[in-house]
Amino acid sequence: MIAPRNTRAIVGQPTPLIDGIEKVMGTAKYTADLPAADALVGRILRSPVSHARIRAIKTEAARALPGVRAVITGADCAATYGVLPIAMNEYPLARDTVRYRGEPLAAVAAMDAETADAALKLIRCEFDTLPAYYTADAARAPDAVALHADKPGNIERAVHHRFGDVEAGFAQADLVREHVYTCAEVAHAQMERNAALVEYDPARDHLTIWSTTQVPYYVHLMLARCLEMEASRIRVVKPFVGGGFGARVETLNFEIIAALLARAAGGKVFLSLSREETFLTHRGRPETKIHIKLGMTRDGRLTACAAEVVQRGGAYAGYGIITILYAGALLQGLYDLPAIAYDGVRVYANLPPCGAMRGHGSVDVRFAFESLLDGMARELGLDPFAVRRANLLAAPTETLNGLRIESYGLGECLDWVERASLWRDRRGRLGPGRGLGMACSHYVSGAAKPIHWTGEPHAVVHLRLDFDGGVTLLTGAADIGQGSSTVMAQAAAETLGIHLDRVRVVAADSMLTPKDNGSYSSRVTFMVGNATIDAARALRAHLVAAAAERLGVVETEIEHENETFFAAGGDGPALSFAAVAQAALAREGGAITTKGSFTCPVEFQGGKHKGGAVGATMGFSYAAQVVEVAVDHETGLVAVEKVWVAQDCGFAINPLAVEGQIQGAVWMGMGQAIGEETRYEQGLAVHGSFLDYRVPTIIESPPIALHIVESLDPNGPFGAKEASEGALAGFLPALTNAIADALGLEIDTLPVTPDRILEALAQRQRAERLAKIREEVA
Amino acid sequence: MERDQRSPRAKIRAFRLNGRAREILVADSRLLIDTLRETLGLTGTKHGCDGGECGACTVLIDGRPRLACLTRTEECEGHDVETIEGFAEQGRMSRLQRAFHERLGTQCGYCTPGMILAAEGLLRRDPAPDAAAIRAALAGNLCRCTGYVKIIEAVADAARGVP
Amino acid sequence: MEILPRFDVLRPASLAAAIEARRRCAASRFIAGGTDLMVNLRHGLGAPETLIDLRHIAELRLLSKENGGITIGAAVTLAELAANPAIGCDYPAIAAAARAVGAPAHREAATLGGNLCLDTRCLFYNRSAWWREANGFCLKHQGETCHVAPTGKRCHAAYSGDLAPALLVYDATIEIAGRAGTRRIPLADLYAEDGAAHLRLAPDEVLVRIHLPAAPWPAAYAKARARGAIDFPQAGVAVALRAEAGWITGLRVAFTGTNARPFLLAGVAALENTRIDAAWRDRLTKLVQKQVSPMRTTLLAAQYRRRVASALAQRLAAALAGMGAENHGSV
Repeated sequence: MIAPRNTRAIVGQPTPLIDGIEKVMGTAKYTADLPAADALVGRILRSPVSHARIRAIKTEAARALPGVRAVITGADCAATYGVLPIAMNEYPLARDTVRYRGEPLAAVAAMDAETADAALKLIRCEFDTLPAYYTADAARAPDAVALHADKPGNIERAVHHRFGDVEAGFAQADLVREHVYTCAEVAHAQMERNAALVEYDPARDHLTIWSTTQVPYYVHLMLARCLEMEASRIRVVKPFVGGGFGARVETLNFEIIAALLARAAGGKVFLSLSREETFLTHRGRPETKIHIKLGMTRDGRLTACAAEVVQRGGAYAGYGIITILYAGALLQGLYDLPAIAYDGVRVYANLPPCGAMRGHGSVDVRFAFESLLDGMARELGLDPFAVRRANLLAAPTETLNGLRIESYGLGECLDWVERASLWRDRRGRLGPGRGLGMACSHYVSGAAKPIHWTGEPHAVVHLRLDFDGGVTLLTGAADIGQGSSTVMAQAAAETLGIHLDRVRVVAADSMLTPKDNGSYSSRVTFMVGNATIDAARALRAHLVAAAAERLGVVETEIEHENETFFAAGGDGPALSFAAVAQAALAREGGAITTKGSFTCPVEFQGGKHKGGAVGATMGFSYAAQVVEVAVDHETGLVAVEKVWVAQDCGFAINPLAVEGQIQGAVWMGMGQAIGEETRYEQGLAVHGSFLDYRVPTIIESPPIALHIVESLDPNGPFGAKEASEGALAGFLPALTNAIADALGLEIDTLPVTPDRILEALAQRQRAERLAKIREEVA
Repeated sequence: MERDQRSPRAKIRAFRLNGRAREILVADSRLLIDTLRETLGLTGTKHGCDGGECGACTVLIDGRPRLACLTRTEECEGHDVETIEGFAEQGRMSRLQRAFHERLGTQCGYCTPGMILAAEGLLRRDPAPDAAAIRAALAGNLCRCTGYVKIIEAVADAARGVP
Repeated sequence: MEILPRFDVLRPASLAAAIEARRRCAASRFIAGGTDLMVNLRHGLGAPETLIDLRHIAELRLLSKENGGITIGAAVTLAELAANPAIGCDYPAIAAAARAVGAPAHREAATLGGNLCLDTRCLFYNRSAWWREANGFCLKHQGETCHVAPTGKRCHAAYSGDLAPALLVYDATIEIAGRAGTRRIPLADLYAEDGAAHLRLAPDEVLVRIHLPAAPWPAAYAKARARGAIDFPQAGVAVALRAEAGWITGLRVAFTGTNARPFLLAGVAALENTRIDAAWRDRLTKLVQKQVSPMRTTLLAAQYRRRVASALAQRLAAALAGMGAENHGSV
């Protein structure tokens, strides 16, 4: 008896993570949990100064200390590393010049931690200090010393983009407003501290690294470059990883340092960073100033947008060029904008380098955009929802800057959050100090153009079937907790019509798994998911051919589901998966390996303008959210009472994980909005702990009600798009819009810490008093 | 008997770990987290911060939550210590472990052992906690992935004996 | 990354033995729950050769009712305090303050004595050894300059224990044992306004127990902090207020987190024998503003801590006088 056909037996079903049991049992091995009793202990000496020429680093005494096996400095690595091939300007250990407090200067490997610490204390550094700059303005001052000789004025990249007739757009507007918004720098604060375990085999000149990375392939490339080793002599393994959020989407200095130490010591080195050092390694979202100007007609239609964005990027390039390009490119793709002017500047400063963080490039600009949009709606007496609806796109379409949009569920997102929050009944009626606010946001489903253009597909997956009837899925994609391995297993099982537990995923071990660009820009579900379907179809073809042969019918007549193969329509015999697998193995001459791949077509890879590839993607996720706040005007505390969020993720392959990702993204936006910020004293990080970097606790974290909108993207795997980033940016303006509703206070600086709220209230009180006095005088 | 940290000051200390009596030679200044992870190989107890700020190393001592990163091993002498490794019953997930797994109370999993231990401490005192009690009990356990929503659901489910 | 210095731990079973041990080992320190000291030791703030664990002294763990009042041993944990029915019923501000400390796992270890003897805290002090050295150390430890007020010669690190103000408004006295014997003083006298030496305790003196007098006034504690848990107070306020039909007959106000010591607000007599009205609030605010002196020792603005200290004082006073409704929300 054949069950009725259900084409969505596995995808679309809420599915606990296939590697979740190890996590709850405590048996999941993260980098620091790997056996390392025989490893040397690595330690890094970090710069006490912000900006200096290095006159000398004297290591003789440290080398002479018994138990010390290796001491390395910048002299041991002359190669730079980084992200974009044109902007690799960072050394794993500073050479000649040190550019931020906390930058690695030297490293030791010793028999134990106490010896390593003692060795660090014996290293003597001599500096000739240089002027240091901690703000974008100071770094851009006319007489400022350049951090990098090839970047005068400390400008890493200036972007000037014009699309449409901006002047005409503002001229057509009934209301034109502009405002400056500022967002503090924030950090990922992933729970697992950075760590690397490296084993070097001097006899074979082979090196193996286990690291806390989202991008094993990039780590591989940079190790080969910095150690001047052939890539085939290096093996990169990603164990369980305790969160990423973008912190680990580039090779980080500690990974190269650990490798250099292991090679210098001729053995195994474990390098575990403290929480403070993990904060110093940084790569967070830069402090950003946004001067934004919008034009709007009386009925809420946007006519033009002009934005000037300044990002303080820290001391090295990292992802900086991409971040400043994203900030402009992703002004578009959410609403129908007839004209845009974007001027972005990425500035170097003597601080730990910024990088990519969840919602990369889009978040702070979206905060500014949606805040001003709301303010203008208030001025025109328009409902915030109405203003968004007046500017919706219609898919398929292409934006002015060449972003293709094939699916667009923002309208449904708006409808749901408006309804679920009882917006129309409750807005403005919640009593003193309470308010509702809303905003929208979006994000890419993978950068359509890879950073390293090699001509290879953008994603490759292997599937293997052998005598045991198990299907092994080999992928380079790094599961960092987001559940990518589960999504791949579901996609393979669905396509093959087999049970989920028949699929076992081997992920992110360069010796076994095909190259993958990594877990960034929400690319994995879309790209690796499509590659998985491709590989599974290829494997299915083998199985169908074998089944057809056994059943004596043509291949096109073979159907399969629930691990059973049978001829279409008939009530003839059915074959079990095991029987078909065995037949296929006999037919193919043993174990079957199939390959699937995916490449974003050229037409999705962005506009022709310079930097046009950044922002380009095959599908955007869309999110709308409503935030309810209660503000205590005496303590300044902003309590987020509840959030309603809806996100169009195309199709939820694993609705359970999609919910978790959306809730996590909204909550991370909340952290940035209400309390998180990095702080520096003369370039010295004072936020380097979980007391000073205030990740929200469970106490102030609200219930988050959510709804998944499925717009079924024509190119996504089963219609899926990204689900992990799109909802983050919207929280920030939804919160400040709610505060505006609660207090009539338009907040333009994040985070809205209680001291800033009380100061803003005090300022308003002073202004009101002054106005009253002036009135009386008049 | 295991040897933990070669030191002239090391002393033999006896305590119960996950139900089993142990004696180990340990220096007074040795932290419980280091004994668990390095000497005994119980790596389910995690380092998340530089001391007392994140809850990832939460264990139970005499059934009450404690931070292994601030507790010296010698303090455990004569006491019952429980870690995440002690919760599986003959390899099967406990009710909390199953609820965290099935309700996605865990994403990256790094805070999960500490979170489960803190929740276990709560359920032993209060078998039917409301959301406020769950929040209060987990207030010192930071999670960066979930926004805590599904963690609260998982603890509530485990308490109710769902599924 | 920092590792703990090596030390031995002694577990004296009597006060006399503890005091004697402290005398014998110059490089020793008393310890109880260790939730603060262990973190500081990991940061290289001190390197004792011996820690003397006071929790094995039975009398320090007692909590008993006597003569209508309550006596609490210094080694009673904050979790015990928070859960104790007698405390919760008669001295609710103490239970509230205990519940406001850190998170549950901290409170299981942390003790009342430890919280009262908590080291002062500062942006420039509670840092890693690398950080402090890069910053040239500070007046409180190994350095010469106070980075909070570089021109001054005093350490401004802030006392940040939650329990002290609650005990102060109940008029607590403490018993201290030392080589010379035992002395009993008002809790307020334990403290000095100096962040580098805020405890008036001889090196070998031990805080033994805390006495709370009978018939306490109604009192409450409120803590300003950015998050709902883990954080130390940006400002903490306890108020005890006795009122008869809206007429204030007794008032005590105490603060933590704003100064180098917890302290009782002076001059409150002028606010007694009157009713709470707008003028009363203004006078209370002026009094608070004059006496709290938050400096830049935390990441929130000092001005905020000043503002919120008086706001919370007003709010608690109004709530205790039965006038909470007009005060916009809960305490």
